[in-house]
Amino acid sequence: MHITRNPTRNFYRPIIGFLAATSAALLLYAIWLCLHNISLMSTKGTQFIGLSNFVRLATDWRGVQALGRTALFVLLATSIEVVLGIAIAMFLDQDFRGKKIVRAVILVPMIMTPVIAGLTWRFLFNAQSGMINYWLSLVGIAPVDWLGNPSVALYAVLIADIWQWTPFVVLLAMATLETIPKDLVEAARMDGASEIRVIWHIILPMLRRTLGVAALIRAIDSVKAFDLFYIMTKGGPALSTETQNLYGYTVAFTNFDISYAMTIALFLTIVTNVALLVLTRFAMPKGIR
Amino acid sequence: MFRKLVFFLVLALILFVTLFPLYWVVTTSLKTLRDAFAMPPVWLFSPTLENYGKVLTNPVFLKGFANSMIISISASVLAIAVASFAAYGIVQQTPARRQSIEGFVLSLRIAPAILFVIPTYYVSMRLGLLNSHGLLIAIYAFINIPFAISLLVTFFEEVPKEMREAGLMDGASELRVFWHLILPVVRGGLVATFILCVLFTWNEFFIALVLSGRNTQTLPVTITSFLTFQGIEWGTLTAAATLIMLPMLILGTLVQGTVVRGMAAGSVKG
Repeated sequence: MHITRNPTRNFYRPIIGFLAATSAALLLYAIWLCLHNISLMSTKGTQFIGLSNFVRLATDWRGVQALGRTALFVLLATSIEVVLGIAIAMFLDQDFRGKKIVRAVILVPMIMTPVIAGLTWRFLFNAQSGMINYWLSLVGIAPVDWLGNPSVALYAVLIADIWQWTPFVVLLAMATLETIPKDLVEAARMDGASEIRVIWHIILPMLRRTLGVAALIRAIDSVKAFDLFYIMTKGGPALSTETQNLYGYTVAFTNFDISYAMTIALFLTIVTNVALLVLTRFAMPKGIR
Repeated sequence: MFRKLVFFLVLALILFVTLFPLYWVVTTSLKTLRDAFAMPPVWLFSPTLENYGKVLTNPVFLKGFANSMIISISASVLAIAVASFAAYGIVQQTPARRQSIEGFVLSLRIAPAILFVIPTYYVSMRLGLLNSHGLLIAIYAFINIPFAISLLVTFFEEVPKEMREAGLMDGASELRVFWHLILPVVRGGLVATFILCVLFTWNEFFIALVLSGRNTQTLPVTITSFLTFQGIEWGTLTAAATLIMLPMLILGTLVQGTVVRGMAAGSVKG
């Protein structure tokens, strides 16, 4: 078959071409918006203002704080979810009755509508009638105003995020663990290797790739986290849970400052993607990409 | 023996933490207002369907349900139709070419939604499209296509190459091979991908919040409107929540294996 007349290319070319053209056009339009001063609340005409929006972002204390908060959230959510997820997967990696059912149960948080997951956790974290405070009171701990206290609220959202997304890491790692040859682990145990050595020298190296992929996917997704924040705290109290993504939303759809919101969104995309690419390039072993 | 006991205790704890929020929403929806807020909480109560009655006669909720059905099914059908062609074509390419195309498709999934939602909002507002189903269907199809391509590629590559070659030998056109030979074989994958697209669209909140109008609100947006008027009515709210998530929990369990594969598609393999 001649490469030049390969009809299978026509199956994907129009679609990939369309996707490429659309995303390029969107990106150019996004950049154009960033360089102008479009706001639905202003009566002034559209003007070219150069990089003023970027200068404004660099000196915007609220934006800088939101960025720091995003970084903190991404770091905590990703590391806890990956470590906890791998631990649970290794724990479940043995034969027992009802393993299939356990797997189905673990899937539940992931496919639960995120808005409803947020509502549920808001309900559980309720200071007066929530279950979390009720359980704490049973062991003699004073009630905590989970969503109303600026120094606690971010961690309340974090707990909900961990609940919803650790299962993803668990199921991904379980699938990988099933491909590890059992006799290899058995042989090491026979030779008298301690359980810790087996985990450290045999199981973890085989999970390395999965670990990297899971961490990357969770990091990308938690940069974009919106639903839980919007439902549980809406960025409050006192902006203590406002991430960069939420700040962009508020600027765009509460203040209707389209150009500035676009600048925040573009900055978020560039910074996070560059950071993640650099991280994967340097912090991860070869072969993960 | 002791080991086994510890194992089952920890397992029970994991399952309890995983399922408790779901259990609490569903049981609250079956409680009367007095039972729902009783402290200490009531574990045994006589269930009532009163909250469901209220939700199912609420025109706003019913409208949201219809919108969610229309939008998620249309967008997913559209995405699968387009993506299956693309995935078939991509699988037949040389490894180097495949990698670059799949890399591009994957990169489309990294950008946060806000990046394209703001320009789309601005343009559709000026064109007066903010209250049309077509806008949401188009946007969701656009988002589902890269996802569906990445996932369908993993199904298409499982089909033995000989099948296509045999078809071509017999003089069938590429299109006929695709339609009559390959598609029937990957039917299961198509269904699973379709279900995941529906699941994603049904659950999606951010885009719907920004780009839907009074007539096109989907359920996740509808339920937030229950939050504001006269405080929070937890009874009706949890009943609505149960009705919204239950179909997705059932669908998701049906395609269990594919959910994780779908979320990691394109990045897990080399």
